[in-house]
Amino acid sequence: MAETFEIRDPIHGFIELDDWERQIVDHPHFQRLRRIRQLGLTEMLYPGAVHTRFEHSLGVMHVATRMFDAIVRRQREFLREKYDFTDGGFERDRRIVRLAALLHDVGHPPFSHAGETELMPKDGEGRRYKHENYSAAIVASLMRDAIEEHSLNQNHEIKAQDVADFLEGKSTVGRRLFWRHLVSGQMDADRADYLLRDSHHIGVAYGHYDLGRLLTTLTAIEDPETGSPALAVEEGGLHAAEGLIIARYMMFTQVYFHHTRRAYDHHLVEAIRQLLAESQGVFPPPIDKQSLKEYLKWDDWYVVGRLTARDGGANGAIILNRRHDRRVYETPERLEREDLQRLDTVREALDDKVSFEDRPQKSWYALGSTDIPIVRRTGQEQEVVTRLSERSTVVGGLKAVNQRRIYSTLEQQEDCRKIVAQVLSRQESVG
Amino acid sequence: MRRDLHFPWHQYALIVGLAERLNDRKRCHGTYPQFGKTALQKLVYLLQEAYNVNCGYDFSLYTYGPFTSELLQDLDLVDSVGGVEVRPVRKGIDGYHIVPHDNAAWVKAQARAFLTENKGALGKLIEEFGHYSAKELEIRATMIYVEREMKRDSKPVSLDGLARVVHDIKPYFPKDEIKSVAEELQAKGHVEVAS
Repeated sequence: MAETFEIRDPIHGFIELDDWERQIVDHPHFQRLRRIRQLGLTEMLYPGAVHTRFEHSLGVMHVATRMFDAIVRRQREFLREKYDFTDGGFERDRRIVRLAALLHDVGHPPFSHAGETELMPKDGEGRRYKHENYSAAIVASLMRDAIEEHSLNQNHEIKAQDVADFLEGKSTVGRRLFWRHLVSGQMDADRADYLLRDSHHIGVAYGHYDLGRLLTTLTAIEDPETGSPALAVEEGGLHAAEGLIIARYMMFTQVYFHHTRRAYDHHLVEAIRQLLAESQGVFPPPIDKQSLKEYLKWDDWYVVGRLTARDGGANGAIILNRRHDRRVYETPERLEREDLQRLDTVREALDDKVSFEDRPQKSWYALGSTDIPIVRRTGQEQEVVTRLSERSTVVGGLKAVNQRRIYSTLEQQEDCRKIVAQVLSRQESVG
Repeated sequence: MRRDLHFPWHQYALIVGLAERLNDRKRCHGTYPQFGKTALQKLVYLLQEAYNVNCGYDFSLYTYGPFTSELLQDLDLVDSVGGVEVRPVRKGIDGYHIVPHDNAAWVKAQARAFLTENKGALGKLIEEFGHYSAKELEIRATMIYVEREMKRDSKPVSLDGLARVVHDIKPYFPKDEIKSVAEELQAKGHVEVAS
């Protein structure tokens, strides 16, 4: 029996690793995650938000494994008979799920999502790379030996490329795409972990939900619409699944989309863009080992060092002095036609006093094929499948946030607020 | 530095345009399937990949075919500004019907040039794929996704090879059905395979 090691975790108690996984965790590219904060500069607002991608990655591996085990325990025969899974395959798949969950964030840019999007280069087809592309490329090339060469891999013969393909959702993954829902999906281990972890560190209760109940009711079914295997929740876990979706909504509206946090995301992007001036304002692309090594030099510590050396320009100074731009106007979270027209009028009136515009936008719950199936088993092993949005009026009624915000500099905020008040008052009197 | 975050009106107008065309078809030919959220995902994917219309979405592959959550966010916005109405129509699976609503013309007017430029492609999409059910669209969209990925990865694409990969993703589809879908897409010029 392989020796195991435990790491103490504030959310899950102890997280177990074997020697193979421990060597991967000890790899310098995984250790870099200790220097990537989970929530960027959210600490400017919530001082406790200084936890890192390192502990989150361990947590995702732990939760993904518990999800995998719960499903196989409950539906082993179903998956074998209906979708040609095998017992040997389950063992190998479990390994791949653990490795993919552990390594899913290894390609994050500094300060997590704040550094993503605009700072990512584009591929040959004009699409911006995502951190998942970097994670896959790092796993397949720079971490290949750590994954393939360990003696515990002799029985599985897992290739680093298998893990990379799983992370990117390549078609070569075949029927194992089903397990990808555990790492990237509506009820995945990533969300399951970060909601609890972020709440814990920040000191808010918004992200709490009943993970234990969710795990005891998680299952697999045949999707009645498409015939594909789908993650589902048994009737008893209906409210646990509902709790997860609501927790996500609350965390986004109260924390991740907070107007001050979003201002710092903006300042950070602009400061890093300045630091990247020699490479056209974008990170090196994930196309070869050399570019990846260059990319991996970028972590929070490196960026903070450069900002402290005053290399980050005006935005770097704003971060160092906490003199962020201020929100002077925002639309309702759910836009209607009149809101768009009012936004245009305000923007026109503020003219060059606008420092930047922000667009918090997120859908809380995806309907259609991804709507979580709720399964009720009746007497003769028959299943009645409904959807979470149909069973939960709260989830069914959750609408996406599509907000727009206008910011000004700290110095101009009072002027701008007066202008906005005048515009709105004029509109009211006309209306 | 000032950053303007413009509205992707062409994406919103596309949703309205599809809803109008498919609901017209359903009115004229009662056998047309309802235009729901799954069909929206697959049709926009096909428009982007099979007809080369730059819709601006980045799809990922799941067991239920190509999918992007950004499209559902945009649908929510179009719904809230009154471009379409998303109606729950029945209990159970994909029980939503997307229909044009009061501000449909206004939303389309914001992206008139895009709709005019791609009128032909939209028409062909509806003609060739509009009558398929969500399940039928799923297998076709998956097939095209796999073919594009194999080409991007410089892998040789044969009819049998393509069918084999798709069957491995979807073992619950009969092999002969997958093969005939591959042949159909090849005949229509949507996938290119070596002879």
